[in-house]
Amino acid sequence: MRGEESQTDLGNIRIHKNVIASVASIAATEIQGVKRIGGDLRSGIFELIGKKSLSAIKVDIDKNDEIRLEVPLVIKYGSNIPDIANKVQENIREALEKMTNLSIKYINVNVQSIEK
Amino acid sequence: MRVFTVLGILFYAVVLILIGMVLIVFSLNFLQPQDITNLLVYLQFNTNSRIIVGLSGILLITISFSFAQLLLGRFQKERNIAFTTASGEVTIALSAVEDLIKRLAGVIPEIKELRPDVIATKKGIIVDIRVALKSEANIPELTGRLQEITRSKIQEILGIEEQIITKIHVVKIISHHDIDKKKREQPEKEEPTIPFGGYGRLI
Repeated sequence: MRGEESQTDLGNIRIHKNVIASVASIAATEIQGVKRIGGDLRSGIFELIGKKSLSAIKVDIDKNDEIRLEVPLVIKYGSNIPDIANKVQENIREALEKMTNLSIKYINVNVQSIEK
Repeated sequence: MRVFTVLGILFYAVVLILIGMVLIVFSLNFLQPQDITNLLVYLQFNTNSRIIVGLSGILLITISFSFAQLLLGRFQKERNIAFTTASGEVTIALSAVEDLIKRLAGVIPEIKELRPDVIATKKGIIVDIRVALKSEANIPELTGRLQEITRSKIQEILGIEEQIITKIHVVKIISHHDIDKKKREQPEKEEPTIPFGGYGRLI
């Protein structure tokens, strides 16, 4: 399954993983102190060849339709990392619950770098 | 795991030595192409030897894969500091901590270069800093200040209460003469010119 699926009287509604990643990405960068979303090998290769980068946020949906997110971040120099990470987790959770009604199991934040 | 690594390295060393020896023997004309052909023909026509050769091939491929995986896995293993919050886990790459320490060099003007290496252990975080200082620096005072700044900044920004051990290694002391010489050697930057910048301008 490429995303989360729910059923209504009129049919199915599918939310693609990329949509979840996009919502998470926007919610994360809204927090002051977050410089940008970090990258992984795949997004780095895409950037190198000049293609539009795919989000480095990993989205996993388990058997119970619970969502697990891995969010790589680059934080601004001078920010308190645990505080920022907490705010990012809360904002992503709020945004996803508000926009998609999905149940979030956990949001793992990975601080990759610090930039000015 | 260490035994397996040693065995793997020994295995590759032995294989490479054997290949090298065969090549040397061949180049010295001790080994005739006919001998190699005879050996291959013998292996081909004997069922038992074919089975042994096939199994050896599978074994070699398996050893190679597992050894490559072990090595690559070790290189890819991310070094980080982790803590858990209500919403999940937060991991901070040690390279991010190194970036943070590098930025501290700007705070102390006597530091010319700074190269940090951060290791997370059960005892706490060990920060190993190699610095190049300017000659006017008072080393004991400066290194003490750097240790204090590093410790407090890491605790403040990472919000961790673990022990932070800062080791400083002064690798170089650069004199004013060297700094001036470097500055003189650097060519002066030319002002960028805009093509046709003055075009149409009335004098």
